[in-house]
Amino acid sequence: MKAASGAGPAVARSAARRAAKPGRSLVWLQGLACGALATLATPLAVLLGALLLPGLCVLLIDRMPGKPVARTMLLCGAAASVSPAWHLWDHGLTMENSLDLLSDVLTVGLAWAATAAGWLIAEVAPICVYLALEATAKRRDGELRAARARHEAEWGIPPAGAETPEA
Amino acid sequence: MAEKSAEKPAMREGGRGAPALIGGRYQVDFAAPLAGAGGGVMAFVARDQQNAAAGLMALQIRPGAPARVHAIELLSKSAIPGLLLPLAHGTAFTSEGSEAGFVICGAPPGPSLAAAPRAWGERELLDCVLRPAAMVLDALATRGITHRAIRPDNIFQGSAGEPVALGAAWASPPARLQPALFEPPYAAMCHHAGRGEGSGADDVYALGVTLLTLALGRPPLAGLDDAAIIRRKLDLGSYAALVGEARLPAMIADLLRGMLAEDPVHRPPPQLYLDPSAARARRLAARPGRRAQRALKIADQPVWDARSLAHALARRPEEAVRLVRSHYLDHWLRRSLGDAVLAGRADDVVRQRSEFPPEDSRADATMAMRLIAILDPLAPLCWRGVALWPDGLGGVLAEGLQENSDLAAKIDDLVAAEAVAGWALMRPELCDVTALRQTAQHHRMWQRIRGLGGGLARICYALNPLQPCASPLLAGSWVARLADLLPALEAVSQQAERRRGEPVDSHIAAFIAAHQDGRLGGDLGAFAGDSAGGEPQLASLRALSRLQAAFPTPLPGLAAWLVERAEPLIERWHNRARRAETLAQLRRLTQAGQLLPMLALFDDRHALAADAQGLKQALVAVAKIDAERAALRTASAERRRRATHIGHEIALGSGMLALAASVGWLVFG
Repeated sequence: MKAASGAGPAVARSAARRAAKPGRSLVWLQGLACGALATLATPLAVLLGALLLPGLCVLLIDRMPGKPVARTMLLCGAAASVSPAWHLWDHGLTMENSLDLLSDVLTVGLAWAATAAGWLIAEVAPICVYLALEATAKRRDGELRAARARHEAEWGIPPAGAETPEA
Repeated sequence: MAEKSAEKPAMREGGRGAPALIGGRYQVDFAAPLAGAGGGVMAFVARDQQNAAAGLMALQIRPGAPARVHAIELLSKSAIPGLLLPLAHGTAFTSEGSEAGFVICGAPPGPSLAAAPRAWGERELLDCVLRPAAMVLDALATRGITHRAIRPDNIFQGSAGEPVALGAAWASPPARLQPALFEPPYAAMCHHAGRGEGSGADDVYALGVTLLTLALGRPPLAGLDDAAIIRRKLDLGSYAALVGEARLPAMIADLLRGMLAEDPVHRPPPQLYLDPSAARARRLAARPGRRAQRALKIADQPVWDARSLAHALARRPEEAVRLVRSHYLDHWLRRSLGDAVLAGRADDVVRQRSEFPPEDSRADATMAMRLIAILDPLAPLCWRGVALWPDGLGGVLAEGLQENSDLAAKIDDLVAAEAVAGWALMRPELCDVTALRQTAQHHRMWQRIRGLGGGLARICYALNPLQPCASPLLAGSWVARLADLLPALEAVSQQAERRRGEPVDSHIAAFIAAHQDGRLGGDLGAFAGDSAGGEPQLASLRALSRLQAAFPTPLPGLAAWLVERAEPLIERWHNRARRAETLAQLRRLTQAGQLLPMLALFDDRHALAADAQGLKQALVAVAKIDAERAALRTASAERRRRATHIGHEIALGSGMLALAASVGWLVFG
């Protein structure tokens, strides 16, 4: 009995390990890409790291499956970082140019504001959707209540909660 | 039954309260009673609206003693000289204001023979009494009717030397008012209402005792009570007991010997007495019964022969059980009476009793009944101390239900045990066993009908077609025919304090069922059905509407009464709109007083089925609605999860859109 009961969790753990493999390889590939970027294009890595810093921080603390808030923040931050990154590439991929760009408050502020906008969207959108779904459900409940009231009045069926007559 | 043959129904002209004419032409004069003219029944002068000179009287029927409908219907079309014939029957309002039933018949031509007792001569007896009475009895015999009320105080003579006329005997059960003296012992020992129609031989016996009384100028056995007279007749034989040492003309004595024979078969038929000399010559010698060497004591009365023993056991059936259990009966029959055959038959009866538990009182009663039947095959059916002839069951039952619950309980037990069939089987040579068995089974079947429309009341009304309905609702009314029922109920419906219950109670249901020749059979079960489902109300409406179809008359009061009680019927409609529409239609029909359209409204099976189907569909729809609402209530958390998921998808999409727009602007801008 003990052997049988001990075998169960072991099998489950190995299955979980197998299931987690693709995610882990993706993380590994992302780490490899970041490492390559940091080695081959260090100024660009510094620029992007600084501009996407709030998103990356949230990426670390976001516990939701798929980290949707962090991803949204990173996408919005990335949208605002495209232009500075292109500027750095175009004017020379040097650390000096990278720091120049980072010293521009407007550039950093725009990237971080975009990141904040991404966070705001990720937080507000579920609430709006929830309110829309609740309103739909309430409208449907009202329709059903009215239909039941019609049946009650027409057939003398007791209100909900009372005993129903036999047909 | 009575409805079909009621030739001249009483009319309730001018509504209730107005003087009614019986048979449409006879009026009862309650201010003019006729003492002694009715042969024991209250009699009043009656006037014929079409023939004021006709001398008529009206005989009042007692509720517990129904009139003889068969005799009335047959004789009302006949002309028999020397008999006060019935002409019609019906109801009239008495001076007290209540209704009563009456039989109209001819008035007596003079005083009764008992009015001035004297000793009659032989010639006068033969010419004025015997021949006229024999002619009447012969005419009755050809019609299959008996008189059963021949006695001096019910025989009338216009003037001396004229032929006598037999009085009326139609307003009460046969022989109900006959003293034991004038009845053969086997009829006299019966309950007075249970003597049955009997046969012409019983009339001959009564005529014989009447002749003897007139010849003597006084009643024989004066001073003895009925029980003593019966015992004396059984001990000595009727002739010896009645005539005794009296000196009679030889002709009369010879005639009486035949007329008072113990066995009805030995009495000459009435036709023979048209020629008294021929009747005198006819003699049948009856073998005297076997007499025991030692008397058997029952209740301190010595019993010397089997038929006296049968009579003693009929009066005290518990003695039969005691004698059987002590084995003394068998001992006495074998040793003292010396009748081994009789003892063997008694053994068989006792053996049959032993198949039932000792405490089974019905088995005891059956054993006693069977013992009496084998001890004296001529004796009537004796059950728990009540003796009756099977065709007298109706009379006994009528009295039992009206006045004597103990008697009714005994008859109830008699019917339940099918005692009539058991009694017939013990004396098959003296009766039609098959017919009696079928009768007993019929009675048992009616008794077993549960709820309204069955039981003893059903049997009583079936056996007594002129028995008035004993429903408390109809108190003060005399409803003996179906035609009278609806007007009586309509009158009751006008009195708010009397229409509290259902318009059809157990007595009315039994009355209708008994008078409708089984047409109500299908509805009888419904009378006992689910009252919440409206089955009894529907059965009432159905029965009354059928009556209205047979006897058309508007009944607005009764219709309103039925509607008041029809709430369960209206509630059978589930659709509220249909219910309201039904109520509105009912109000219109109530004013018209027509019950059949009301029945059609309530009994529309197709519409009711459609209504039930509609309710079923509505319930299914409501169930679906409730399920969906419950799902909506419980799906709030799921909606929140879905909203989060969709919201995050929207956010990611927005981010990607922004990134794509930014790259696109850089590349193409």
